[in-house]
Amino acid sequence: MKILLVEDNQRVARFVQNGFREEGHTVDYADNGRDGLFLASSERYDAIVLDRMLPGGVDGLGIVEALRKTGNKTPILILSALGEVDERVRGLRMGGDDYLAKPFAFGELSARVDALVRRSQFAGPETTLEVGDLRMDLLSHAVARAGRQIQLQPREFKLLEFLMRHAGKVVTRTMLLEGIWDYHFDAQTNVIDSHISKLRRKIDTGFDPPLLRTVRGVGYKLGPDE
Amino acid sequence: MNSLVRSTAVRLALGYAALFVVSSLVLVGFLWWRTADYLDREIDAVIVADAQAISDRLRDFGLPGAIETIADRVSHAGDEHSIYLLTDPALHRVAGNLEAWPLQVGSTPGWYEIELVRAGKVHATRGLFAVLPGGFRLLVGRDIQDRVEVRTLILHGLAWASLGALGLAILGGLLLRRSVLHRVEAINRTASAIVRGDFSQRVPVQGSSDEFDRLARTINSMLERIEHLVDRVRGASNAVAHDLRTPLAELRARLEDIARARPPGEAVHEEIEKAVADIDRVIGIFNALLRLAEIDSGLRRSAFRRVDLAEIVGQVSEIYEPLAEEKGIVIAAEIPSGAAVDGDADLIAQAIGNLLDNAIKYAPPNSRVSLQIASGDEGRLAIEVADHGPGIGDSERARVTEPFYRGDRSAGTEGTGLGLSVVEAVARLHGGALEFRDNKPGLIAVLTLPGAGARDGAETDPLRVIRPMATPPVSAP
Repeated sequence: MKILLVEDNQRVARFVQNGFREEGHTVDYADNGRDGLFLASSERYDAIVLDRMLPGGVDGLGIVEALRKTGNKTPILILSALGEVDERVRGLRMGGDDYLAKPFAFGELSARVDALVRRSQFAGPETTLEVGDLRMDLLSHAVARAGRQIQLQPREFKLLEFLMRHAGKVVTRTMLLEGIWDYHFDAQTNVIDSHISKLRRKIDTGFDPPLLRTVRGVGYKLGPDE
Repeated sequence: MNSLVRSTAVRLALGYAALFVVSSLVLVGFLWWRTADYLDREIDAVIVADAQAISDRLRDFGLPGAIETIADRVSHAGDEHSIYLLTDPALHRVAGNLEAWPLQVGSTPGWYEIELVRAGKVHATRGLFAVLPGGFRLLVGRDIQDRVEVRTLILHGLAWASLGALGLAILGGLLLRRSVLHRVEAINRTASAIVRGDFSQRVPVQGSSDEFDRLARTINSMLERIEHLVDRVRGASNAVAHDLRTPLAELRARLEDIARARPPGEAVHEEIEKAVADIDRVIGIFNALLRLAEIDSGLRRSAFRRVDLAEIVGQVSEIYEPLAEEKGIVIAAEIPSGAAVDGDADLIAQAIGNLLDNAIKYAPPNSRVSLQIASGDEGRLAIEVADHGPGIGDSERARVTEPFYRGDRSAGTEGTGLGLSVVEAVARLHGGALEFRDNKPGLIAVLTLPGAGARDGAETDPLRVIRPMATPPVSAP
């Protein structure tokens, strides 16, 4: 995956670049808005990660606006310092696809970028989802593992569907809250954990290998161990 | 002296004195002017009549007739208020009660005001100088010394009265200044003490309910409010410092441990993960504080939309259900449909979530937490969250919404200490309120929000449409 990073803080930039490179991605980097916009419009990227505040005459939102005006639909994630929660709204209205406040965990950033890229590549309608021996029928709402039917409550079904659509990738607690219930708020971590442990009891107990795993400090991941 | 002039009371009194003097001057001056004018005209008429009569006699009976008339007038006048003098063209006296032609009378005929000395006393005299047939010159006059004296008397009287008024004004001003200054000085002293940092000072109230007392009471209640706010801010920043110190101290200890003991790779890894968790706690506190500040600033109001309160309550209750189930708690939700509110869905969800989180945290295992929406007065909607936990004592109710306040019941529990502060801020932002009632036993938290009226066709929130991370839409084939 080829990612463009536009960020003026050297330390944050190095941290993000290292992270993406370790995951096997190619990262192009610009430390100001002008170079960032130039790279973004002249090269093809799978995703762009932008800081909101940038030197060089063009800020993050300026880049988003310029790209969208020229019909460039590359998924964009906007980074911003704390305390600008209201800016989130503006960033998304300008055509950004996601928004993450600093300080952030790299796992969260990586998970969100993965989700953005997958969403933009999403091809056609699906009627079934499969992860390992776990199968979900989206039409009949039936879930089975190794051929054995599993009864799920509606909210557990929504949760599992979200996890299966992001199978093999880390999803964070905030992503779950936003993706399933469409709310952006700070829920205490144990709220989401209790959802996960209920679901885990249903899909993992009595089966092998465990599919739903906790990624410490970041979130969860559905899929067999690599 | 300078400070006297700068004193408002003295300036006020001086102003009144000046006004008094000027208005008396105008009044007396006007009266004097009208009276003097009348007297002048009377005297002038008499003088003209006299002169006319003498002139007539001269014409009809010649010089002897005129002399006789003058002698007659002089003797009949009796007093010395009238003067007559007839001279020949060479100014030699022919008749009259003046010895010689007065130098003050010029060579042209007309009216003159002259001063004559009679019996060693100066007498102001008004006279008419006329030239009669044959070149004779006639001077007829009346003594107006009385009038001049009256005028002098009045002028002097006015001057003394003005001086007196001025003196009284200054005295009054000084007295007024003393009584006013005394009160103003008291306010000034209090304010200065507060500037120096002594917030316990209050302006003394005399109990007379005058303007100063009312001012003092207003200032005192303002001071009380300020003291309360300052205490609150001081308490909050102390609490922030304290609440941050704990995770930071743990973090420091952890890192120092790694640096000193140099454990093998795997253990370092584990320690670092714990360190990151410590930092996340600190960031969590900061995020909550910033969110609180953001809500308090009112900025979010621009993003208000018509939202379905019943739907939010339903979803939040769904989000918290598994957490409740872990403690064997049942969330009994009673939600009527179609309760609309103009507001921020995320914030309302956050507020209800915080209330539910508290209820679940403090409710005893295997109990019920009830959640319902009730309609109140004026279309207000009350979201009631009731538990059977230890509740909050009357004395604590006002304080639990203060940032970082930790009551008896929260000892040893997790949390940022900002949950209820956020709920209260959200309520305030929406024009609602957060109240607590006794559930006997337990607590009922009531979050009241103004309803959006009965209008139909709630707007959709554009943000909801572009919100990221939603599951990809499954388009129809």
